[in-house]
Amino acid sequence: MKRGLRLGDRIILIAAGFFFITPFLAAGEYSLRGYGGKGHTWANYTWIFKQLGFGPALFTSLRIAALSVALLLVLMIPTVVYVQLGGRRWARLVEILCLLPIVIPVVSLAIGAQVAMPKALQSTSYELCFFYVIVAMPYVYRALDIGLQSIPLQTLVEASQSLGASWFTTLRRVILPAIASAMTGALFITIALTLGEYTLASLLHFRTFPTWVTNVSQENILGAVALSVATLVGAWLILLILAFIPKFKRNRKGVLAHG
Amino acid sequence: MAKDMHGSTVEFEHVTRSFGTVKALNSFSLTLNPGELVTLLGPSGCGKTTALRILAGIDREYSGKVEIDGKSMKNVNASQRNIGMVFQAYSLFPNMTASENVQYGLRVRGVDSAKREKRADELLEMVGLSTQANRRPNQLSGGQQQRVALARALAIEPRVLLLDEPLSALDAQVRTTLRDEIRRLQTRLGITTLFVTHDQEEAMAISDRVGVMNHGNLEQIDVPGNLYNKPKSTFVAGFVGLTNRIPALVESKGEVMVLNQILEISEHSESVKKGEEVRALVRPENISVEKSSSAFTSTVITKSFLGPMTRVGIDVGMDELIYAEMSSKEAKKLDTGDSVKLHIATEAVMVESV
Repeated sequence: MKRGLRLGDRIILIAAGFFFITPFLAAGEYSLRGYGGKGHTWANYTWIFKQLGFGPALFTSLRIAALSVALLLVLMIPTVVYVQLGGRRWARLVEILCLLPIVIPVVSLAIGAQVAMPKALQSTSYELCFFYVIVAMPYVYRALDIGLQSIPLQTLVEASQSLGASWFTTLRRVILPAIASAMTGALFITIALTLGEYTLASLLHFRTFPTWVTNVSQENILGAVALSVATLVGAWLILLILAFIPKFKRNRKGVLAHG
Repeated sequence: MAKDMHGSTVEFEHVTRSFGTVKALNSFSLTLNPGELVTLLGPSGCGKTTALRILAGIDREYSGKVEIDGKSMKNVNASQRNIGMVFQAYSLFPNMTASENVQYGLRVRGVDSAKREKRADELLEMVGLSTQANRRPNQLSGGQQQRVALARALAIEPRVLLLDEPLSALDAQVRTTLRDEIRRLQTRLGITTLFVTHDQEEAMAISDRVGVMNHGNLEQIDVPGNLYNKPKSTFVAGFVGLTNRIPALVESKGEVMVLNQILEISEHSESVKKGEEVRALVRPENISVEKSSSAFTSTVITKSFLGPMTRVGIDVGMDELIYAEMSSKEAKKLDTGDSVKLHIATEAVMVESV
């Protein structure tokens, strides 16, 4: 039988919701105020789109986010699968390596990695992808590791191979779908981190969405708040769409299967 | 329908597999004839699962020869062996329905979807799950999941079927039903099958032959009846079925005194000397019990009803009870606390050193 939430749980949920939603609603209301705080208007939002560089900066950030996600998943999924399956003795080393980005100051990381970067990539915005991969690695490793620990990985792999599947097929048809939620989590973390990262982009003089936001915000305080609200809503929308894609695909598949 | 699977011959020849200093398999040799169901039985760590994994191709770090139909498997990957396997842990792919799970091996082989679906329907019907075809693993019971796993293993028309303790996670009733179902399907399809279990009742009930393993060695392989009645080592005698280990004294080279009876020492016993204190291995059904009022008697301590048979535990003044089995009708005459006299109703017993 489906059990409803207890009173205590509801109170905590409502309190937590209130804690998060109140500042957001306040910011939303503030961003709609007219000049001198009088009346309400969409002017602060329309102001955003009129600012020079909005489109290119957003596009650059989205492009870097997509590339970072792709790079991270290609790098981390086989690594975590390997560590889980047969390379447990490497687990500690991999964990330490993945924790390093948290303890190394971003400035040191930026300078060190900049020096080590191949010349062809230096001073292109693609350079940032590699930095973001390093920065997001601890969180992505944890998300994938937990996802893989929650399934009987070894048995699934052996079952798949005994049925004639290659490693690639096993990864594509069995492992990845089985850890879809962990991958979505890793995806969210990387996108959120990439779209909001300011320090590295600013230090290396790249014009990404966060650096553009910082620059234009200095001219108009109400516009800056509107921009923050719009960015937050935009990020939520992207994550919501990503979260619903697997469900949509599943439903579509279900309809076709019965049709 | 998968009717004409041809059983293959499987051969292990002096296969050795070590993990560090531990030999999981020690010069293990075994031949499975086409269509035969052989069970490897033994305690945990005896090497039975290692043998199965080597045959599956999951473990390839061994020395010796493994052949299927005369072809060496040394350089053949697990995915190329065409061996169906059912695992102890539930191994259905969680993102797929029961039908999709069954179709998986065929999909990998590039079989078109119409044929795949037809075959999955047939196999699911064969294992009695045609109405559950669209359910995901988390919507199926443990027994149903293992049935789907069996259908999935059979879908690829494997040369050999490997069953790695597939019933151990199930409750007793489901286990018995599924065990009989596996045997029925295996006989019908004529597929060579290697079954691994630590449950001797399961092994005896399902197999053409049972191999008892201990410390990486195949102690004995025989039909279930012979294994029980003519064990070739004290380990097999002790592991298969219930055995009383009764203190005894070697009277002469071929005779031993057990419970005041002189009995022959059977072949395959450990070598013992005259005057040596040993243990005699006696099956409960070979001990007869009758009420007695004499001074040197024993006492009935426990009575366990087992359906047509009853097991009686008797205190004869040793550390452990001696168990005797008799028909439940006969056992009605006995009550706990009764004084009884024991008689070993066999001419020869196996003995082991203390």
